[in-house]
Amino acid sequence: MKQAQSHHPIKGAGLGLKRELLPQIQAAYGTGLTAHLDFVEIAPENWIGAGGKYAKQLAWFTARYPIVCHGLCLSLGGPDPLNEDFLHQVKQFLDQHQIPLYTEHLSYCTDGGYLYDLLPIPFTEEAVHHVAGRIRRTQEILERRIAVENASFYVASPIAEMDEASFIRAVLQEADCDLHLDINNIYVNSVNFGFDPHAFLREMPGERIVYAHIAGHDQEAEDLIIDTHGQDVIDPVWQLLREAYELFGVFPTLLERDTNIPPLADAMREVNKIADLQMAPQGIARQQPADPISRKRVPA
Amino acid sequence: MSDTESSLPLFQQYQLAFTAHIRHPRQHMRPAGVQAKRMRVYNEIVFNNLQSSVGACYPVLQRVLGKRAWQALVRRFFAEHQASSPFFRDIPKAFLEFLPQVGTLPPYAVSLAHYEWVELAIASADTVTPLLTAEGDLLQGIPIVAPALAVLVYDYPVQKISARFKPRQALPEPVHLLVFRNEQDEVKFVEMNAMTARLLQVLQPGELTGLAALQQLGLEMGHADTDALISFGGALLEELRQQDIVWGIAVGDEAGIRPDAS
Ligand SMILES: [Fe+2]
Repeated sequence: MKQAQSHHPIKGAGLGLKRELLPQIQAAYGTGLTAHLDFVEIAPENWIGAGGKYAKQLAWFTARYPIVCHGLCLSLGGPDPLNEDFLHQVKQFLDQHQIPLYTEHLSYCTDGGYLYDLLPIPFTEEAVHHVAGRIRRTQEILERRIAVENASFYVASPIAEMDEASFIRAVLQEADCDLHLDINNIYVNSVNFGFDPHAFLREMPGERIVYAHIAGHDQEAEDLIIDTHGQDVIDPVWQLLREAYELFGVFPTLLERDTNIPPLADAMREVNKIADLQMAPQGIARQQPADPISRKRVPA
Repeated sequence: MSDTESSLPLFQQYQLAFTAHIRHPRQHMRPAGVQAKRMRVYNEIVFNNLQSSVGACYPVLQRVLGKRAWQALVRRFFAEHQASSPFFRDIPKAFLEFLPQVGTLPPYAVSLAHYEWVELAIASADTVTPLLTAEGDLLQGIPIVAPALAVLVYDYPVQKISARFKPRQALPEPVHLLVFRNEQDEVKFVEMNAMTARLLQVLQPGELTGLAALQQLGLEMGHADTDALISFGGALLEELRQQDIVWGIAVGDEAGIRPDAS
Protein backbone atom coordinates (compact mmCIF):
# COMPACT_ATOMS: atom_id res chain seq x y z
CA MET A 1 0.00 0.00 0.00
CA LYS A 2 1.42 3.36 -0.98
CA GLN A 3 1.45 6.39 1.21
CA ALA A 4 0.40 9.88 0.30
CA GLN A 5 3.49 11.47 -1.20
CA SER A 6 3.12 15.09 -0.20
CA HIS A 7 4.97 16.58 2.73
CA HIS A 8 2.65 19.46 3.36
CA PRO A 9 1.63 20.08 6.95
CA ILE A 10 -2.10 19.60 6.39
CA LYS A 11 -3.20 16.64 8.48
CA GLY A 12 -6.29 15.25 10.14
CA ALA A 13 -9.78 16.69 9.84
CA GLY A 14 -10.85 20.14 8.68
CA LEU A 15 -13.81 22.38 8.07
CA GLY A 16 -14.60 24.83 5.26
CA LEU A 17 -14.42 28.37 6.60
CA LYS A 18 -17.84 29.84 5.90
CA ARG A 19 -18.49 33.40 7.08
CA GLU A 20 -21.37 32.21 9.28
CA LEU A 21 -19.15 29.75 11.14
CA LEU A 22 -16.17 32.00 11.53
CA PRO A 23 -17.13 33.87 14.73
CA GLN A 24 -18.30 30.58 16.26
CA ILE A 25 -14.94 28.95 15.62
CA GLN A 26 -13.18 31.97 17.11
CA ALA A 27 -15.38 31.79 20.20
CA ALA A 28 -14.86 28.03 20.57
CA TYR A 29 -11.10 28.17 20.02
CA GLY A 30 -9.21 26.21 22.68
CA THR A 31 -12.36 24.47 23.94
CA GLY A 32 -13.28 20.82 23.55
CA LEU A 33 -15.69 21.69 20.78
CA THR A 34 -12.92 22.38 18.29
CA ALA A 35 -10.35 19.96 19.74
CA HIS A 36 -10.37 17.85 16.55
CA LEU A 37 -10.35 20.74 14.12
CA ASP A 38 -6.89 20.40 12.59
CA PHE A 39 -7.12 22.82 9.66
CA VAL A 40 -9.52 25.04 7.75
CA GLU A 41 -10.12 25.65 4.05
CA ILE A 42 -10.80 28.93 2.27
CA ALA A 43 -11.60 29.99 -1.27
CA PRO A 44 -8.88 32.39 -2.48
CA GLU A 45 -11.51 34.16 -4.59
CA ASN A 46 -13.14 35.34 -1.36
CA TRP A 47 -10.06 36.43 0.55
CA ILE A 48 -7.39 37.76 -1.79
CA GLY A 49 -7.30 41.54 -1.59
CA ALA A 50 -9.91 41.78 1.16
CA GLY A 51 -9.06 44.33 3.85
CA GLY A 52 -10.73 45.54 7.02
CA LYS A 53 -12.38 42.94 9.22
CA TYR A 54 -11.81 40.26 6.59
CA ALA A 55 -8.05 40.74 6.68
CA LYS A 56 -8.12 40.60 10.48
CA GLN A 57 -10.21 37.43 10.48
CA LEU A 58 -7.83 35.81 8.03
CA ALA A 59 -4.84 36.83 10.16
CA TRP A 60 -6.54 35.29 13.20
CA PHE A 61 -6.94 31.97 11.41
CA THR A 62 -3.52 31.87 9.74
CA ALA A 63 -1.92 32.37 13.16
CA ARG A 64 -3.77 29.38 14.60
CA TYR A 65 -4.60 26.86 11.88
CA PRO A 66 -2.96 25.37 8.82
CA ILE A 67 -4.94 26.60 5.81
CA VAL A 68 -5.88 24.95 2.54
CA CYS A 69 -6.82 27.09 -0.46
CA HIS A 70 -9.57 25.54 -2.53
CA GLY A 71 -10.11 27.59 -5.65
CA LEU A 72 -13.39 28.02 -7.51
CA CYS A 73 -12.73 30.23 -10.52
CA LEU A 74 -9.48 29.14 -12.15
CA SER A 75 -11.49 27.38 -14.85
CA LEU A 76 -8.94 24.66 -15.56
CA GLY A 77 -11.23 23.25 -18.23
CA GLY A 78 -12.28 26.57 -19.72
CA PRO A 79 -11.92 27.80 -23.30
CA ASP A 80 -10.40 31.17 -22.31
CA PRO A 81 -6.70 31.75 -21.78
CA LEU A 82 -5.64 30.82 -18.25
CA ASN A 83 -5.91 33.90 -16.01
CA GLU A 84 -2.21 34.23 -15.19
CA ASP A 85 -2.59 37.61 -13.46
CA PHE A 86 -4.94 35.91 -11.06
CA LEU A 87 -2.50 33.01 -10.58
CA HIS A 88 0.26 35.43 -9.68
CA GLN A 89 -2.04 36.90 -7.06
CA VAL A 90 -2.76 33.41 -5.78
CA LYS A 91 0.95 32.69 -5.54
CA GLN A 92 1.57 35.87 -3.60
CA PHE A 93 -1.32 35.01 -1.29
CA LEU A 94 -0.11 31.44 -0.68
CA ASP A 95 3.39 32.71 0.09
CA GLN A 96 2.25 35.57 2.29
CA HIS A 97 0.06 33.34 4.46
CA GLN A 98 2.29 30.25 4.21
CA ILE A 99 -0.54 28.18 2.76
CA PRO A 100 0.87 24.79 1.78
CA LEU A 101 -1.89 23.43 -0.43
CA TYR A 102 -3.87 24.85 -3.34
CA THR A 103 -6.48 22.74 -5.06
CA GLU A 104 -8.90 23.38 -7.94
CA HIS A 105 -11.79 21.67 -9.68
CA LEU A 106 -11.75 19.53 -12.76
CA SER A 107 -14.38 21.77 -14.36
CA TYR A 108 -14.79 25.11 -16.13
CA CYS A 109 -16.46 28.37 -15.18
CA THR A 110 -15.69 30.77 -18.03
CA ASP A 111 -16.92 31.34 -21.57
CA GLY A 112 -15.27 34.66 -22.32
CA GLY A 113 -16.57 35.88 -18.96
CA TYR A 114 -16.88 34.31 -15.54
CA LEU A 115 -20.01 32.35 -14.68
CA TYR A 116 -18.90 31.66 -11.09
CA ASP A 117 -20.11 28.08 -11.15
CA LEU A 118 -18.64 24.65 -11.82
CA LEU A 119 -19.51 23.30 -15.25
CA PRO A 120 -18.65 19.88 -16.67
CA ILE A 121 -15.78 19.27 -19.07
CA PRO A 122 -16.58 16.79 -21.85
CA PHE A 123 -14.38 13.75 -21.37
CA THR A 124 -12.49 13.81 -24.65
CA GLU A 125 -8.88 13.22 -25.64
CA GLU A 126 -8.45 16.85 -26.69
CA ALA A 127 -9.88 18.01 -23.37
CA VAL A 128 -7.34 15.87 -21.50
CA HIS A 129 -4.45 17.64 -23.24
CA HIS A 130 -6.03 21.05 -22.80
CA VAL A 131 -6.65 20.66 -19.08
CA ALA A 132 -3.35 18.94 -18.38
CA GLY A 133 -1.47 21.76 -20.12
CA ARG A 134 -3.25 24.34 -17.98
CA ILE A 135 -2.51 22.43 -14.79
CA ARG A 136 1.16 22.26 -15.75
CA ARG A 137 1.22 25.99 -16.42
CA THR A 138 -0.50 26.60 -13.08
CA GLN A 139 2.08 24.52 -11.24
CA GLU A 140 4.81 26.42 -13.06
CA ILE A 141 3.49 29.82 -12.01
CA LEU A 142 2.73 28.75 -8.45
CA GLU A 143 6.07 26.92 -8.24
CA ARG A 144 4.41 23.99 -6.50
CA ARG A 145 2.26 20.98 -7.20
CA ILE A 146 -1.46 21.49 -7.06
CA ALA A 147 -4.19 18.96 -6.41
CA VAL A 148 -7.16 18.70 -8.75
CA GLU A 149 -10.59 17.66 -7.52
CA ASN A 150 -13.09 15.35 -9.18
CA ALA A 151 -16.24 17.46 -9.62
CA SER A 152 -19.92 16.63 -9.31
CA PHE A 153 -22.15 17.27 -12.30
CA TYR A 154 -25.61 16.74 -13.76
CA VAL A 155 -25.23 16.50 -17.52
CA ALA A 156 -23.38 13.69 -19.25
CA SER A 157 -21.71 15.12 -22.32
CA PRO A 158 -22.92 13.41 -25.52
CA ILE A 159 -19.47 13.86 -27.09
CA ALA A 160 -17.57 12.02 -24.33
CA GLU A 161 -14.95 9.56 -25.55
CA MET A 162 -14.18 8.00 -22.16
CA ASP A 163 -15.66 7.62 -18.70
CA GLU A 164 -14.99 10.01 -15.84
CA ALA A 165 -12.48 7.81 -14.01
CA SER A 166 -10.40 7.38 -17.18
CA PHE A 167 -10.54 11.11 -17.80
CA ILE A 168 -9.33 11.90 -14.29
CA ARG A 169 -6.50 9.38 -14.51
CA ALA A 170 -5.41 10.65 -17.91
CA VAL A 171 -5.41 14.31 -16.83
CA LEU A 172 -3.52 13.67 -13.59
CA GLN A 173 -0.93 11.59 -15.34
CA GLU A 174 -0.33 13.99 -18.20
CA ALA A 175 -0.26 17.00 -15.87
CA ASP A 176 1.68 15.16 -13.16
CA CYS A 177 -0.35 16.72 -10.38
CA ASP A 178 -1.96 15.47 -7.19
CA LEU A 179 -5.51 14.30 -6.63
CA HIS A 180 -7.97 16.04 -4.36
CA LEU A 181 -10.52 13.29 -3.95
CA ASP A 182 -14.08 14.37 -3.27
CA ILE A 183 -15.82 11.34 -1.80
CA ASN A 184 -19.27 12.91 -1.95
CA ASN A 185 -18.80 13.84 -5.61
CA ILE A 186 -18.11 10.21 -6.44
CA TYR A 187 -21.38 9.24 -4.78
CA VAL A 188 -23.35 12.12 -6.38
CA ASN A 189 -22.13 11.23 -9.85
CA SER A 190 -22.71 7.51 -9.27
CA VAL A 191 -26.39 8.28 -8.67
CA ASN A 192 -26.67 10.92 -11.39
CA PHE A 193 -25.06 8.67 -14.01
CA GLY A 194 -25.77 5.21 -12.66
CA PHE A 195 -22.34 3.72 -11.96
CA ASP A 196 -20.82 1.79 -9.07
CA PRO A 197 -19.06 4.24 -6.70
CA HIS A 198 -16.94 1.50 -5.15
CA ALA A 199 -15.55 0.45 -8.50
CA PHE A 200 -14.92 4.11 -9.34
CA LEU A 201 -13.03 4.59 -6.09
CA ARG A 202 -10.78 1.65 -6.85
CA GLU A 203 -9.95 3.19 -10.22
CA MET A 204 -8.58 6.35 -8.63
CA PRO A 205 -4.78 6.72 -8.60
CA GLY A 206 -4.31 6.33 -4.85
CA GLU A 207 -0.66 7.37 -4.90
CA ARG A 208 -1.69 10.87 -6.02
CA ILE A 209 -4.29 11.52 -3.30
CA VAL A 210 -3.18 14.30 -0.94
CA TYR A 211 -6.51 15.61 0.26
CA ALA A 212 -10.20 14.73 0.41
CA HIS A 213 -13.63 16.30 0.77
CA ILE A 214 -16.75 14.89 2.28
CA ALA A 215 -20.16 16.56 2.23
CA GLY A 216 -23.91 16.19 2.24
CA HIS A 217 -26.24 16.82 -0.69
CA ASP A 218 -29.91 17.04 -1.68
CA GLN A 219 -31.53 14.04 -3.33
CA GLU A 220 -34.02 15.52 -5.82
CA ALA A 221 -35.14 12.30 -7.43
CA GLU A 222 -34.14 8.68 -7.39
CA ASP A 223 -31.63 9.34 -10.15
CA LEU A 224 -30.71 12.97 -9.41
CA ILE A 225 -28.67 14.45 -6.57
CA ILE A 226 -28.00 18.17 -6.37
CA ASP A 227 -24.64 18.75 -4.73
CA THR A 228 -25.70 21.52 -2.35
CA HIS A 229 -23.36 20.74 0.55
CA GLY A 230 -26.44 21.61 2.55
CA GLN A 231 -27.25 18.42 4.49
CA ASP A 232 -25.57 15.98 6.85
CA VAL A 233 -23.26 13.45 5.23
CA ILE A 234 -25.19 10.27 4.47
CA ASP A 235 -24.06 6.78 5.52
CA PRO A 236 -23.10 5.48 2.07
CA VAL A 237 -20.72 8.44 1.73
CA TRP A 238 -19.16 7.77 5.14
CA GLN A 239 -18.80 4.17 4.03
CA LEU A 240 -16.97 5.29 0.87
CA LEU A 241 -14.59 7.41 2.95
CA ARG A 242 -13.85 4.45 5.22
CA GLU A 243 -13.24 2.36 2.14
CA ALA A 244 -10.93 4.98 0.64
CA TYR A 245 -8.82 5.03 3.83
CA GLU A 246 -8.62 1.24 3.71
CA LEU A 247 -7.60 1.25 0.07
CA PHE A 248 -5.19 4.18 -0.02
CA GLY A 249 -4.31 5.06 3.57
CA VAL A 250 -5.46 8.05 5.56
CA PHE A 251 -5.32 11.50 3.96
CA PRO A 252 -6.36 14.89 5.37
CA THR A 253 -10.10 15.24 4.93
CA LEU A 254 -12.41 18.23 5.11
CA LEU A 255 -16.11 18.60 5.74
CA GLU A 256 -17.72 20.96 3.21
CA ARG A 257 -20.86 22.74 4.27
CA ASP A 258 -21.91 25.60 1.99
CA THR A 259 -25.66 26.06 2.38
CA ASN A 260 -28.13 25.55 5.20
CA ILE A 261 -25.21 26.09 7.58
CA PRO A 262 -25.82 24.43 10.96
CA PRO A 263 -24.46 25.60 14.32
CA LEU A 264 -20.76 24.84 14.75
CA ALA A 265 -21.48 22.02 17.21
CA ASP A 266 -23.37 20.11 14.50
CA ALA A 267 -20.66 20.62 11.91
CA MET A 268 -18.03 19.57 14.44
CA ARG A 269 -19.86 16.30 15.08
CA GLU A 270 -19.13 15.41 11.46
CA VAL A 271 -15.56 16.70 11.61
CA ASN A 272 -15.06 14.54 14.70
CA LYS A 273 -16.43 11.58 12.81
CA ILE A 274 -13.76 12.11 10.14
CA ALA A 275 -11.15 12.16 12.91
CA ASP A 276 -12.59 8.93 14.34
CA LEU A 277 -12.38 7.17 10.99
CA GLN A 278 -8.81 8.35 10.58
CA MET A 279 -7.91 6.90 13.97
CA ALA A 280 -9.46 3.51 13.23
CA PRO A 281 -6.83 0.72 13.35
CA GLN A 282 -6.47 0.38 9.61
CA GLY A 283 -5.99 4.14 9.45
CA ILE A 284 -3.30 4.45 12.10
CA ALA A 285 -1.14 1.85 10.46
CA ARG A 286 -0.86 3.90 7.29
CA GLN A 287 -0.87 7.39 8.70
CA GLN A 288 2.15 9.53 7.97
CA PRO A 289 4.54 10.24 10.82
CA ALA A 290 3.80 13.48 12.62
CA ASP A 291 5.53 16.39 10.96
CA PRO A 292 7.24 18.69 13.47
CA ILE A 293 6.54 21.77 11.37
CA SER A 294 2.93 20.90 10.87
CA ARG A 295 1.64 23.01 13.72
CA LYS A 296 1.88 26.71 13.48
CA ARG A 297 2.95 28.78 16.41
CA VAL A 298 -0.06 29.76 18.47
CA PRO A 299 0.17 33.14 20.14
CA ALA A 300 -0.45 32.99 23.88
CA MET B 1 -21.74 29.92 -34.43
CA SER B 2 -19.02 32.26 -35.61
CA ASP B 3 -16.01 31.25 -37.72
CA THR B 4 -13.63 31.49 -34.76
CA GLU B 5 -15.87 29.22 -32.75
CA SER B 6 -16.16 26.59 -35.45
CA SER B 7 -12.36 26.41 -35.67
CA LEU B 8 -12.22 25.47 -32.00
CA PRO B 9 -11.86 21.85 -30.88
CA LEU B 10 -15.18 20.07 -30.67
CA PHE B 11 -15.20 19.92 -26.86
CA GLN B 12 -14.82 23.71 -26.67
CA GLN B 13 -17.58 24.28 -29.21
CA TYR B 14 -19.73 22.10 -26.99
CA GLN B 15 -18.71 24.01 -23.84
CA LEU B 16 -19.55 27.36 -25.43
CA ALA B 17 -22.91 26.07 -26.67
CA PHE B 18 -23.56 24.80 -23.15
CA THR B 19 -22.92 28.18 -21.51
CA ALA B 20 -24.64 30.13 -24.29
CA HIS B 21 -27.77 28.19 -23.46
CA ILE B 22 -27.31 28.77 -19.72
CA ARG B 23 -26.91 32.50 -20.23
CA HIS B 24 -29.72 32.88 -22.73
CA PRO B 25 -31.93 29.78 -22.96
CA ARG B 26 -34.48 31.38 -25.32
CA GLN B 27 -31.89 32.51 -27.80
CA HIS B 28 -29.62 29.46 -27.77
CA MET B 29 -30.79 25.85 -27.85
CA ARG B 30 -29.10 23.43 -25.47
CA PRO B 31 -26.39 21.34 -27.17
CA ALA B 32 -27.71 18.39 -29.17
CA GLY B 33 -27.93 15.17 -27.21
CA VAL B 34 -28.24 16.83 -23.81
CA GLN B 35 -31.20 15.78 -21.68
CA ALA B 36 -33.60 18.70 -21.13
CA LYS B 37 -34.33 17.81 -17.52
CA ARG B 38 -30.65 17.77 -16.59
CA MET B 39 -29.83 20.89 -18.57
CA ARG B 40 -32.44 22.75 -16.55
CA VAL B 41 -30.49 22.03 -13.37
CA TYR B 42 -27.66 24.19 -14.71
CA ASN B 43 -30.01 26.85 -16.05
CA GLU B 44 -31.38 27.23 -12.55
CA ILE B 45 -28.37 26.89 -10.30
CA VAL B 46 -26.01 29.10 -12.27
CA PHE B 47 -28.55 31.91 -12.56
CA ASN B 48 -29.76 31.55 -8.97
CA ASN B 49 -26.24 31.68 -7.60
CA LEU B 50 -25.48 34.81 -9.56
CA GLN B 51 -28.78 36.33 -8.53
CA SER B 52 -28.08 35.76 -4.86
CA SER B 53 -24.55 37.18 -5.17
CA VAL B 54 -25.95 40.33 -6.76
CA GLY B 55 -29.03 40.50 -4.56
CA ALA B 56 -27.05 40.34 -1.32
CA CYS B 57 -25.48 43.68 -2.19
CA TYR B 58 -28.63 45.45 -3.39
CA PRO B 59 -31.52 44.76 -0.98
CA VAL B 60 -33.09 48.21 -1.39
CA LEU B 61 -32.84 48.41 -5.17
CA GLN B 62 -34.35 44.95 -5.30
CA ARG B 63 -37.37 45.99 -3.23
CA VAL B 64 -37.80 49.29 -5.02
CA LEU B 65 -37.90 47.63 -8.45
CA GLY B 66 -40.10 44.74 -7.36
CA LYS B 67 -39.49 41.05 -7.84
CA ARG B 68 -40.28 40.77 -11.56
CA ALA B 69 -38.31 43.79 -12.71
CA TRP B 70 -35.41 42.78 -10.50
CA GLN B 71 -35.29 39.25 -11.92
CA ALA B 72 -35.49 40.57 -15.45
CA LEU B 73 -32.65 42.98 -14.74
CA VAL B 74 -30.36 40.29 -13.30
CA ARG B 75 -31.32 38.04 -16.21
CA ARG B 76 -30.24 40.65 -18.68
CA PHE B 77 -27.00 41.24 -16.78
CA PHE B 78 -26.32 37.50 -16.80
CA ALA B 79 -27.07 37.18 -20.51
CA GLU B 80 -25.15 40.24 -21.69
CA HIS B 81 -22.31 40.88 -19.30
CA GLN B 82 -18.94 39.13 -19.59
CA ALA B 83 -17.53 39.31 -16.06
CA SER B 84 -13.78 39.77 -16.08
CA SER B 85 -12.90 39.20 -12.43
CA PRO B 86 -12.53 35.85 -10.65
CA PHE B 87 -13.23 37.51 -7.29
CA PHE B 88 -16.75 37.14 -5.96
CA ARG B 89 -16.91 40.58 -4.42
CA ASP B 90 -16.46 42.06 -7.89
CA ILE B 91 -19.80 40.63 -9.05
CA PRO B 92 -21.84 43.47 -7.49
CA LYS B 93 -19.38 45.99 -8.91
CA ALA B 94 -19.79 44.58 -12.42
CA PHE B 95 -23.55 44.81 -11.95
CA LEU B 96 -23.22 48.46 -10.93
CA GLU B 97 -21.15 49.19 -14.03
CA PHE B 98 -23.75 47.46 -16.16
CA LEU B 99 -26.72 49.50 -14.88
CA PRO B 100 -26.20 52.77 -16.80
CA GLN B 101 -26.74 51.00 -20.11
CA VAL B 102 -30.14 49.73 -18.98
CA GLY B 103 -32.51 52.33 -20.34
CA THR B 104 -35.63 51.40 -18.43
CA LEU B 105 -34.65 52.04 -14.82
CA PRO B 106 -36.00 54.84 -12.59
CA PRO B 107 -33.68 57.88 -12.69
CA TYR B 108 -32.41 57.36 -9.12
CA ALA B 109 -31.56 53.65 -9.64
CA VAL B 110 -27.88 54.04 -10.48
CA SER B 111 -27.28 56.41 -7.54
CA LEU B 112 -29.12 54.09 -5.19
CA ALA B 113 -27.15 51.09 -6.45
CA HIS B 114 -23.90 52.98 -5.98
CA TYR B 115 -24.90 53.90 -2.45
CA GLU B 116 -25.60 50.24 -1.66
CA TRP B 117 -22.45 48.97 -3.33
CA VAL B 118 -20.14 51.43 -1.61
CA GLU B 119 -20.87 49.86 1.77
CA LEU B 120 -19.38 46.58 0.55
CA ALA B 121 -16.49 48.40 -1.12
CA ILE B 122 -15.58 50.33 2.04
CA ALA B 123 -16.02 47.28 4.30
CA SER B 124 -13.54 45.23 2.25
CA ALA B 125 -11.18 47.98 1.04
CA ASP B 126 -7.59 46.85 1.46
CA THR B 127 -6.11 49.93 3.09
CA VAL B 128 -2.87 51.09 4.63
CA THR B 129 -2.93 53.26 7.75
CA PRO B 130 -0.14 55.83 8.04
CA LEU B 131 1.64 56.07 11.38
CA LEU B 132 -0.35 58.49 13.49
CA THR B 133 -0.99 59.69 16.98
CA ALA B 134 -4.59 60.00 18.11
CA GLU B 135 -3.80 63.13 20.12
CA GLY B 136 -2.18 66.22 18.69
CA ASP B 137 -3.03 69.58 17.16
CA LEU B 138 -5.23 69.12 14.12
CA LEU B 139 -4.43 72.60 12.78
CA GLN B 140 -0.64 72.41 13.05
CA GLY B 141 -0.39 68.70 12.29
CA ILE B 142 -1.46 66.72 9.22
CA PRO B 143 -4.86 65.20 10.05
CA ILE B 144 -5.16 61.55 9.04
CA VAL B 145 -8.66 60.58 7.98
CA ALA B 146 -10.04 57.03 8.13
CA PRO B 147 -8.13 55.15 5.39
CA ALA B 148 -11.29 53.59 3.99
CA LEU B 149 -13.37 56.66 3.29
CA ALA B 150 -15.29 58.18 0.40
CA VAL B 151 -17.18 61.40 -0.08
CA LEU B 152 -20.35 60.74 -2.06
CA VAL B 153 -22.48 63.25 -3.90
CA TYR B 154 -25.91 62.20 -5.16
CA ASP B 155 -28.70 64.03 -6.97
CA TYR B 156 -31.25 61.90 -5.13
CA PRO B 157 -31.75 61.30 -1.39
CA VAL B 158 -30.46 57.73 -1.77
CA GLN B 159 -30.24 57.20 1.99
CA LYS B 160 -34.01 57.63 2.31
CA ILE B 161 -35.17 55.59 -0.68
CA SER B 162 -37.33 52.57 0.10
CA ALA B 163 -40.25 50.69 -1.42
CA ARG B 164 -42.45 53.38 0.14
CA PHE B 165 -40.35 56.35 -0.86
CA LYS B 166 -39.35 56.58 -4.50
CA PRO B 167 -38.27 60.13 -5.31
CA ARG B 168 -39.98 61.65 -8.34
CA GLN B 169 -37.34 64.23 -9.02
CA ALA B 170 -33.77 65.16 -8.25
CA LEU B 171 -32.96 67.23 -5.16
CA PRO B 172 -32.61 71.00 -5.64
CA GLU B 173 -29.14 70.68 -4.08
CA PRO B 174 -27.19 67.40 -4.23
CA VAL B 175 -26.81 65.46 -0.99
CA HIS B 176 -23.29 64.94 0.43
CA LEU B 177 -22.69 61.69 2.25
CA LEU B 178 -19.56 60.49 3.88
CA VAL B 179 -18.95 56.75 4.12
CA PHE B 180 -16.03 55.44 6.12
CA ARG B 181 -14.77 52.48 8.11
CA ASN B 182 -14.09 53.27 11.76
CA GLU B 183 -11.34 51.74 13.86
CA GLN B 184 -13.66 48.88 14.84
CA ASP B 185 -14.06 48.12 11.10
CA GLU B 186 -17.70 49.15 11.09
CA VAL B 187 -18.97 51.02 8.03
CA LYS B 188 -20.68 54.32 8.87
CA PHE B 189 -22.59 56.80 6.74
CA VAL B 190 -22.81 60.46 7.76
CA GLU B 191 -24.75 63.18 5.97
CA MET B 192 -22.79 66.41 5.85
CA ASN B 193 -22.69 69.83 4.24
CA ALA B 194 -20.72 70.60 1.12
CA MET B 195 -17.95 72.39 3.00
CA THR B 196 -17.21 69.50 5.37
CA ALA B 197 -17.27 67.12 2.44
CA ARG B 198 -14.79 69.31 0.57
CA LEU B 199 -12.54 69.58 3.65
CA LEU B 200 -12.36 65.80 3.89
CA GLN B 201 -11.52 65.51 0.21
CA VAL B 202 -8.69 68.00 0.69
CA LEU B 203 -7.40 66.11 3.74
CA GLN B 204 -7.72 62.61 2.30
CA PRO B 205 -4.30 62.47 0.58
CA GLY B 206 -2.72 63.18 4.01
CA GLU B 207 -0.45 65.92 2.73
CA LEU B 208 -1.81 69.16 4.18
CA THR B 209 -1.91 70.41 7.76
CA GLY B 210 -5.37 71.27 9.07
CA LEU B 211 -4.48 74.94 8.75
CA ALA B 212 -3.29 74.65 5.15
CA ALA B 213 -6.38 72.67 4.24
CA LEU B 214 -8.66 75.32 5.71
CA GLN B 215 -6.76 78.09 3.95
CA GLN B 216 -7.16 76.29 0.67
CA LEU B 217 -10.88 75.96 1.34
CA GLY B 218 -11.06 79.70 2.12
CA LEU B 219 -9.47 80.46 -1.24
CA GLU B 220 -11.76 78.11 -3.11
CA MET B 221 -14.84 79.61 -1.48
CA GLY B 222 -13.62 83.19 -1.83
CA HIS B 223 -13.95 83.53 1.93
CA ALA B 224 -12.80 86.95 3.14
CA ASP B 225 -12.67 86.28 6.90
CA THR B 226 -9.94 83.64 7.15
CA ASP B 227 -9.70 83.91 10.96
CA ALA B 228 -13.36 83.05 11.38
CA LEU B 229 -13.01 80.16 8.95
CA ILE B 230 -10.02 78.80 10.85
CA SER B 231 -11.66 78.94 14.26
CA PHE B 232 -14.79 77.35 12.84
CA GLY B 233 -12.70 74.80 10.93
CA GLY B 234 -10.64 73.92 14.00
CA ALA B 235 -13.82 73.04 15.90
CA LEU B 236 -15.06 71.06 12.91
CA LEU B 237 -11.85 69.01 12.79
CA GLU B 238 -12.21 68.20 16.51
CA GLU B 239 -15.76 67.10 15.87
CA LEU B 240 -14.57 64.82 13.03
CA ARG B 241 -12.03 63.33 15.43
CA GLN B 242 -14.81 62.61 17.94
CA GLN B 243 -16.73 60.80 15.20
CA ASP B 244 -13.74 58.58 14.36
CA ILE B 245 -13.56 60.14 10.88
CA VAL B 246 -10.26 61.86 11.63
CA TRP B 247 -8.01 59.35 13.42
CA GLY B 248 -5.27 61.70 14.58
CA ILE B 249 -2.24 63.42 13.09
CA ALA B 250 0.59 61.98 11.08
CA VAL B 251 3.89 61.14 12.76
CA GLY B 252 7.25 60.26 11.20
CA ASP B 253 7.85 59.68 7.53
CA GLU B 254 6.32 57.46 4.87
CA ALA B 255 8.47 54.51 5.80
CA GLY B 256 6.29 54.17 8.86
CA ILE B 257 3.18 53.03 7.06
CA ARG B 258 1.85 49.63 7.92
CA PRO B 259 -0.65 47.39 6.17
CA ASP B 260 -3.84 47.11 8.20
CA ALA B 261 -3.95 43.34 8.38
CA SER B 262 -0.83 42.89 10.49
FE1 LIG C 1 -15.37 19.28 -2.91
